[in-house]
Amino acid sequence: MGEASRFCHFRGERLLEASRLTKIYRVGGEPVYALRDVEFVAPQGDFVVINGPSGSGKTTFLNLIAVIDRPTSGEVYIEGEPTSTQSEGQLAALRKTTIGLVFQSFNLIPVLSAAENVEYPLLLQGSERSPRRARVAAMLAEVGLSELARRRPSALSGGQRQRVAIARALITGPKIVLADEPTANLDSETGGAVMDLMRRLNEEHCVTFVVVTHDPAVSKYAKRRVRILDGRLEEGGDHGMVDSAS
Amino acid sequence: MGWWIPLRSIWRNRRRTVLSIGIIALGTAVSFFVLGFVESSRRLIQESTVHEYGNLQIGSPDLWNGTADSYDRLIPPDAVAQIEAALAEEPTLVGSTVQLQFPGLLARGERTQVVRATGVVPGNGVLEFNDLVFIGRGLAPDDRAAILIGRSLAEKLALSPGDAITLTLTTVDGAYNASPFTVAGVFRFTSEAFEQQVVFMPLGYAQRLLNTPGVDRVIASLSSLEATNPARQRLQSALRGASLAVDVKTWDELSPFYRQLSSYFSALFGFLSAAVSILVFFIILQVLTLAFLERTREIGTLRAIGTTRAQVFRLFLAESAWLAVVGSAAGVVIGTLLGLGFNAVGIEWRPPGTVEPVRLAVQLGVATAAVPFVVSVAATLLSALFPSIEAARLRVVDALRVE
Repeated sequence: MGEASRFCHFRGERLLEASRLTKIYRVGGEPVYALRDVEFVAPQGDFVVINGPSGSGKTTFLNLIAVIDRPTSGEVYIEGEPTSTQSEGQLAALRKTTIGLVFQSFNLIPVLSAAENVEYPLLLQGSERSPRRARVAAMLAEVGLSELARRRPSALSGGQRQRVAIARALITGPKIVLADEPTANLDSETGGAVMDLMRRLNEEHCVTFVVVTHDPAVSKYAKRRVRILDGRLEEGGDHGMVDSAS
Repeated sequence: MGWWIPLRSIWRNRRRTVLSIGIIALGTAVSFFVLGFVESSRRLIQESTVHEYGNLQIGSPDLWNGTADSYDRLIPPDAVAQIEAALAEEPTLVGSTVQLQFPGLLARGERTQVVRATGVVPGNGVLEFNDLVFIGRGLAPDDRAAILIGRSLAEKLALSPGDAITLTLTTVDGAYNASPFTVAGVFRFTSEAFEQQVVFMPLGYAQRLLNTPGVDRVIASLSSLEATNPARQRLQSALRGASLAVDVKTWDELSPFYRQLSSYFSALFGFLSAAVSILVFFIILQVLTLAFLERTREIGTLRAIGTTRAQVFRLFLAESAWLAVVGSAAGVVIGTLLGLGFNAVGIEWRPPGTVEPVRLAVQLGVATAAVPFVVSVAATLLSALFPSIEAARLRVVDALRVE
């Protein structure tokens, strides 16, 4: 591990925090608890893998901490600020600047090239053309896709698409990247490569990663493992570093 | 946000985009073609009306307020001189003349016809109708009891140039008067009623028959149709300054037929334009709604990575704007080609109540294209409003769940 990783690891800052987070869905008029009084804290530079079976509440939890959904009760704090009182516009601004998202199905815009997909969040921020393009080129180089910058998503493999999605999530320099089943649509080798990349970026950019997955193989990339079951989080595994190469 | 993103987006489903553009283009082309035809016809009627009335007529208010039978309406020579002096100051004036109109009964043997006799200044170069004569000759400055009659009247009374007829009338003093006339020529006009009811004679002879030195109107010809209203304003204030109790009427005010036809044309185009716009609106609404539904997940993604509702709304509206502009522009091109083709064929038609066929044409050009273009763009944007609002209002998590 380099200087950055030692520096980032567990700085103690409560970058992302969930307090008594509860989400109840109504199914046929009956309340169903997707999450129940969840407590969660992730400091800057952390790499948390949340593991759990289907229907355990992983994606619901991710949606809440990604501020794309609102809890039934409880609170999500981003950089110490409560989010429940923020407007839709303020939450969109948070997602634009502070949170990067990586999806299971990549969710790239099919009519845009790899470079344009990565460029899109910068367009939202109103960045100048010249530095914007330079930043996109650098980010694509970082994820190893410089040669494929002009290709549309349909002309990329699953692993390449997920790399584009990761580049898109990181391009604005967010403090938090949330990934929902990032390896689910990839074969094990490609999935491993994607996780290697995310772990490397975590180290190099000091970005907090929260990855939810049902894939046990992803856990080995975690600095911290958390298990989710029936809407409750349980700390699992050690809090130590795991070699990104392992 | 980049202008190219919505442009790129509209080509994701080429068939649907081509269909949308085709519908907008067709609607625009139909509206453009019909408006071009309406405007061309309106222009023909305008020119014909100005040929009949001149651009402006100046006369006593009595002339146009329903008491026209009274000769109190006549303008004395000194007032005519004042009016002509005011007209001479008008920069768009091409020329002016005077007329004296009165009712009379034209008779040849047993056959009679009530006519509107019009005393004109032969060779005035403004409004003398000599150029409409197609059999015989026009009126000359030294003519006295010579008369020009319309083709329909000539047919009705079996008259030819050189034939003698009698005109009976009432003088300004209320006495009956009658005079023999020689038919100098036969004129033709677009209106059958005009050909049958209007006859022309030298003004001097008409004044002598009516026993008056006055005229009932001064007629001004201007450099263009568009010059009419500004010239009227200037002339009215000049005449008011000279304390003359006269009104200035424009050619369209003098022709109820033109006003009715113009209103009819406007209603016709308005109805058709509305029908086409409604059709375009609903078809495009359906196409765009379908397109937006298919992109629900993408909308969720855009929102999840920080796009605001307003930006989503603008993005989708911008896509529709591209469709609208490209479709409407294509419609203008198609409409132009249709119009050029129609004009090249040279179709002629004889409108009801007229004796001369007119060549049907489509007026092309930017001014004519502007209205259908704007209407089509507006209809398309309006149809995009609902799906764009719906797209912007989607809940992010719900949108992301859609496969």
